[in-house]
Amino acid sequence: MNILVFTKRVPATQEEELRLLGDGNSVDLSKLPFKVNDWDNYSVEEAVRIVEKTGGAVTAISIGDAESDEVLRRAIAMGAKDGFLVDAGKVLHDPNARATVALNFLKKEGIAFDAIFTGVQSEDDQFASVGGILAGKLGLPYSTMVIGIDAFEPDHIIARRELEGGLQERIKVKVPCVLSIQSGINEPRYVSIMGVRKASKVERKVFKAAVYEEGVPSRIEVVKWVYPEKKGGAVMLAGELESVCKDLLGILKEKGVYQ
Amino acid sequence: MSYALIVAEVRRGVFEERNLDAIGLCSLLDKESCLLIPEGAYDINDKLVNVVAKVDAEEMVFLNPLNMVSILDKVIEKRGKPDVIIFTHSSSGTECASYMAGRFDLPVITDVSGFDKEGGFFMKSYYSDKIFGQFRQAGDGTYVITVRSGSFKEFVVEKSVSAAVETISGITISEERNFIEYVEEETTEVDITKADFLLSVGRGIGNKDEIEDFMELADMLKAVLSGSRPVIDKMWLPKARQVGTSGKTVKPKVYLAMGISGAFQHIAGMKDSDCIIAVNKDPEAPIFQYAHFGVIADAMKLRDKMKVVLKG
Ligand SMILES: Cc1cc2nc3c(=O)[nH]c(=O)nc-3n(C[C@H](O)[C@H](O)[C@H](O)COP(=O)(O)OP(=O)(O)OC[C@H]3O[C@@H](n4cnc5c(N)ncnc54)[C@H](O)[C@@H]3O)c2cc1C
Ligand SMILES: Nc1ncnc2c1ncn2[C@@H]1O[C@H](COP(=O)(O)O)[C@@H](O)[C@H]1O
Repeated sequence: MNILVFTKRVPATQEEELRLLGDGNSVDLSKLPFKVNDWDNYSVEEAVRIVEKTGGAVTAISIGDAESDEVLRRAIAMGAKDGFLVDAGKVLHDPNARATVALNFLKKEGIAFDAIFTGVQSEDDQFASVGGILAGKLGLPYSTMVIGIDAFEPDHIIARRELEGGLQERIKVKVPCVLSIQSGINEPRYVSIMGVRKASKVERKVFKAAVYEEGVPSRIEVVKWVYPEKKGGAVMLAGELESVCKDLLGILKEKGVYQ
Repeated sequence: MSYALIVAEVRRGVFEERNLDAIGLCSLLDKESCLLIPEGAYDINDKLVNVVAKVDAEEMVFLNPLNMVSILDKVIEKRGKPDVIIFTHSSSGTECASYMAGRFDLPVITDVSGFDKEGGFFMKSYYSDKIFGQFRQAGDGTYVITVRSGSFKEFVVEKSVSAAVETISGITISEERNFIEYVEEETTEVDITKADFLLSVGRGIGNKDEIEDFMELADMLKAVLSGSRPVIDKMWLPKARQVGTSGKTVKPKVYLAMGISGAFQHIAGMKDSDCIIAVNKDPEAPIFQYAHFGVIADAMKLRDKMKVVLKG
């Protein structure tokens, strides 16, 4: 099996205060640490595991700026054979635009594959759409929320996809296909700094995205970025940790869950 | 004809409540509404939409992006192109929405949680709700939306007359992706939905070694330990203890969340708890917007101090 895996470099925002620039024209990402998109970590691992069984190769592809090379090195350290950077030079929020760049790239470079894996969603854009749009444009069968691959045969895959509330559906998908991989499908292998350094020795190819931007639509536009609307908000308990703990116990008693 | 097409979600014969959010958005958009739904008897108020279009297919054939292409072709043949196609932001909703956007070359905005009538734009979450983008389509024509559950239900209006019923038949069923069976989660040790008091931990606790001490605190407080998805993904806790859209929906008297940011998939599973207490070291964590009480603190420090206080 030859599997292409899309992997994206994203800012880690969980513990950071995000600031808007201008009148909400952009979000200031300049001081944030960056990392691999969590979902893509799982999909790289899944692809590598399959290829370890079936033979073939995993190719990691990232659309982004030169810094995205980092996630390609990481994928190679996990077992991908090649890393392709499609250097976009500008931020593409529209999932249609990202999927179209990917499509044009695959077509123009004549890249062959049995399956394409993406993550379910990117942590920053959260569109959960690039995989589906790409599949639609390629006219290939698609599934998202893939939480288990039970069989990988030359002509089909048996997969489990997650629905809501713990329910799953088992499906049969013809190969070639596009699958978006859900977090928790496996336990991604640990990647050491040494491993990533070693992976740097494998050449990564850089492609200038401008070539693939022909017909790339901007189908949606951002009016501006805003902070979330403040809802009621919580009553904040402040002070010494000990007194906060006592306050908390008071609340638990009042609610009748602790005596 | 100008109308909004709402693709309904039904699972094992149940009309999912989140469909109401799609219907609610449709009222805000002031469009004639057409609810697309597989053949079957569902418990629906037929005054909530203008038209119900029944598709001659079972639910698992219907909620399949490959078949949805053919279904849409038939709908367009019959009624013309919709102005907007609305899906729910769920497993099958996002799957079909993105696939339709690719196949029919349509703009798509997902996880929509607000609509500004004057500006004509949709609110879409970024960075797990820390920022929102105001989006609209560039140009004209049909566009695709997925709606965050809980966002628009309140805008549903009952009409004076029942919906007209239409049928969509003769769809092509794809051979390229087929449903085999539903797989249920195994029943397990604990049922977190029965607990009065949940102590819930998130990725913010850092690593698996911390679990034991949280378990100990839970025991001391007579609480049941649950977690957010990453905690379950990393196998720090078993799947049965996951709170959220792809885990369990819980409604305890007290939900004490430690090191959980408050992504909507998590919030959806616990927002109806009587009392929500959030402990997070980030003052901007979205969970504080849903909590009744909040503490800005390190979860481990608070845990350890709590134990000392309880023992003392
Ligand atoms: C289809 C789908 C289904 C999903 N279903 C679910 C679901 O059922 N349930 C669910 O929970 N998620 C679900 N998710 C994932 C969801 O989108 C979020 O990724 C997830 O909820 C984040 O979990 P978290 O808050 O534990 O982690 P993070 O978002 O990483 O947040 C960690 C928090 O811990 C805080 N923190 C860090 N260190 C400390 C410390 N020392 N002390 C205190 N606080 C600290 C940080 O400030 C941060 O707010 C789903 C996603 C998708 C796409
Ligand atoms: N710029 C990008 N480079 C590589 N992969 C991407 C990019 N954008 C999206 N993807 C892939 O598409 C998935 C879904 O992204 P999204 O539709 O933005 O939520 C991600 O998990 C990635 O696998």
